Amino acid sequence: MLNFSLKRLASAVPTLFLLITFAFFLIRIAPGGPFDSERALPPEIEANLAAKYHLDEPLLFQYGRYLWQIVRLDFGPSFHYLDWTVNDLIAQGAPVSFTLGALALILALLIGIPIGAWAAFRQNRPADYSVMSIAMIGISVPNFVMAPLLILLFAIILGWLPAGGWEFTPSRMVLPVVTLALPMIAYIARITRGSMIEVLHSSFIRTARAKGMPEKDVLIHHALKPALLPVISYLGPAAAAILTGSVVVERIFTIPGIGSYFVQGALNRDYTLVMGVVILYGILIILFNFLVDLLYAWLDPRIRYDDAEIGP
Amino acid sequence: MQTATIRPVQLPFDCIRSNLARAGLLLVLLLWSLACQADDNTLHRGLGPEPDALDIHLAQSLSALNVLRDLHEGLVSFNARAELIPGAARGWTISDDGRTWTFELDDSARWSDGEPILAEHFVAGWRRALDPATGSPTVGLLDVVVGARARRMGQASADAVGIRAVAPDRLEIELVRPVPWLAELLTHPVTYPWAGDASRFSGPFMLAQRIPGSHIALLANPYWREAEQISLDAVRWHVIEEPNVELSRYRAGQLHITETIPPGRLAWLRELFGDELRIAPYLGSFFLVFNHQREPFADNLALRQALSLAIDRELLTERVLGAGEVPAWQLVPPGMPGWPKTDPGDPRSQAERIAEAQRLYRQAGYSERRPLRVELRFNTSLAHRRMAAAVAAMWREHLGVQTRQVNEEWKVFVANRRQGRITEIVRGGWIADWRDAANFLQLFESDSPLNYSFWHDAEFDRLMTQAGSASGEQRLELLRQAEQRMLEQQVIIPLYYYVSRHLVHADVEGFEDNLMDIHLSRWLSLR
Repeated sequence: MLNFSLKRLASAVPTLFLLITFAFFLIRIAPGGPFDSERALPPEIEANLAAKYHLDEPLLFQYGRYLWQIVRLDFGPSFHYLDWTVNDLIAQGAPVSFTLGALALILALLIGIPIGAWAAFRQNRPADYSVMSIAMIGISVPNFVMAPLLILLFAIILGWLPAGGWEFTPSRMVLPVVTLALPMIAYIARITRGSMIEVLHSSFIRTARAKGMPEKDVLIHHALKPALLPVISYLGPAAAAILTGSVVVERIFTIPGIGSYFVQGALNRDYTLVMGVVILYGILIILFNFLVDLLYAWLDPRIRYDDAEIGP
Repeated sequence: MQTATIRPVQLPFDCIRSNLARAGLLLVLLLWSLACQADDNTLHRGLGPEPDALDIHLAQSLSALNVLRDLHEGLVSFNARAELIPGAARGWTISDDGRTWTFELDDSARWSDGEPILAEHFVAGWRRALDPATGSPTVGLLDVVVGARARRMGQASADAVGIRAVAPDRLEIELVRPVPWLAELLTHPVTYPWAGDASRFSGPFMLAQRIPGSHIALLANPYWREAEQISLDAVRWHVIEEPNVELSRYRAGQLHITETIPPGRLAWLRELFGDELRIAPYLGSFFLVFNHQREPFADNLALRQALSLAIDRELLTERVLGAGEVPAWQLVPPGMPGWPKTDPGDPRSQAERIAEAQRLYRQAGYSERRPLRVELRFNTSLAHRRMAAAVAAMWREHLGVQTRQVNEEWKVFVANRRQGRITEIVRGGWIADWRDAANFLQLFESDSPLNYSFWHDAEFDRLMTQAGSASGEQRLELLRQAEQRMLEQQVIIPLYYYVSRHLVHADVEGFEDNLMDIHLSRWLSLR
């Protein structure tokens, strides 16, 4: 297992390097620059700005300078939010996005897995159909429809919760967390149901039942663990995506997370900000996929990563 | 003897026997109180997008300027109607030749730490702004000052710039030529004093908290020279990019003033909010710009006029855009000093205009068999998309023009418009930096970096140069002639004038509609 972990971590370095290289040159290929605006600047002022941010240097030189900065964990100044460095922006926004994403993820797991399992247990009965129909609606209704509906009902009509804005208080978190969690609940419920049905038809479950084990124990102790494998595979990339924030949810609830930086950074040609969030996202994807692989081994005794332990 | 038995009052809470239910109720009450939490005497204002910077020399965006006008104060300031009033300067005198302005500083002017604001702080500010290493994008505004242009290009020393502290409370500014709008220019943050770092504030409020993407919280500055006049304890500017989101927050009672309203919902908003909806004239114009350095518009006046006349501006503003915009036939917005209060418009009926457009179109060499094929380029925005679709439909219906609507992402659009290599007709627009017609007309001078029409006209340039050295009514007359010249040449198609649009809660006092759409928080209070 240690061998496997070290190998995976070592392979992360070239992956990240390629990601940084591609992102660095791709964003610079896009037409327009960070200081283009409605009011075109006189050329001398543009030259001053370019010199200040080293944009007047040859591209390869800029690339080298950027790599050296990254090694020192310095993501540089934002080209659009001039009072901040990219490190500042990520340090301020990431805790917000992480909190929201983690709460949504927990909520989705707490609700999605039980209802998925229950639907599988009641396969092809009214309970199954109703749960799956609701899940289908959850997947189909996009965030940008769900969020304004929740705001209209709970903030404007009932006046129970604020319509947006951010503080680390439950009242501010409820609506965005629910909006983020709803489609995930639906996905997780559908995945759990599908894999649970498959597991319930396998021979080891038949054996457990034949031995007279109570149905509840069969479900919880024997079926659930293997049934969760597909959910875990889904969770790796999903967790990286949700923890780095959602553009739609952040804009509608005016939440100062890092989700909107992906889009705003690219639109503003804020080269350093785009690079910062891309690198963060890349690291999280690599990290979560690695954790998923570890969880796999824990959940399924047949999976072993070290060569010597591979079974027949 | 009468005895009274006092029975304990049973609160609803006591009826709940289960501890779990009590805890639940407490949690709900806590959430409720947090949701309803209202800080007293704090004004909540919508800001629009995140400001690009709160550094007076780096800020460019409208949202940044709005916050900076609360945090800092220049020599000249605005009253509630956005008219000029003395700021940190008590008053000023102008030399006979109009080139030297001397300002007397108000001796009660203080930084937010209680230190006096001195003439040398203004000198320090301008020197920092003009230093090429600062990279100030707005420093070009100071070009009217002696030596400023050379200094910002790194060709002169800081001492060569025409700003001097002749005494601790007296500042002298020397100009390259008389500049009638200098007082207005001195309201711009790039001219504010600088105390060596950004942690001291010269204005009625000071920065308390800033969370990017969320809000900027200000507190009243107790050392400000007229601190006793400020009614508010605090102001919170909320960063909200989407007008629909801002509207939701206003409806939920979280904002007192919105930055704007969503497009195309005017009638509904008027019905819903009545007098809280404030729509007022604003010094801004929206127009389409022909590229004069490329076919088919170079040297084809008849074609340019035909396309302009075929557009029904009333229909466009009332039915298509529907957010209070005013039809335009000129570049300089009505209400500008020296300009009429309303646009005189075109005296012909729309039917007559269309007939004339068709005649001109044929004269230009186009017909049903040989229709004009043209690209109309704009950046992504709901209002622009609606405008382009309507204009293309009008051209097609009345002239048979085949228009390709090219929607481009913002930066791509800006780059293409600036280079002018592939553009034919692009959307343009301008909002007044200060109340002066030259601010609009300078866009079309031959050497202006903002001249996306690439129209070069010796007569227009001559009028603008002459206006630059004239003053008073003579100057205004030259500017009017310059505008007339570019309108006759149909350099652009004026479409509409912008309006300012806000929702202002009934509890807010002191909010006055004005042409500049500038509403300093110092003039506002809560009932």
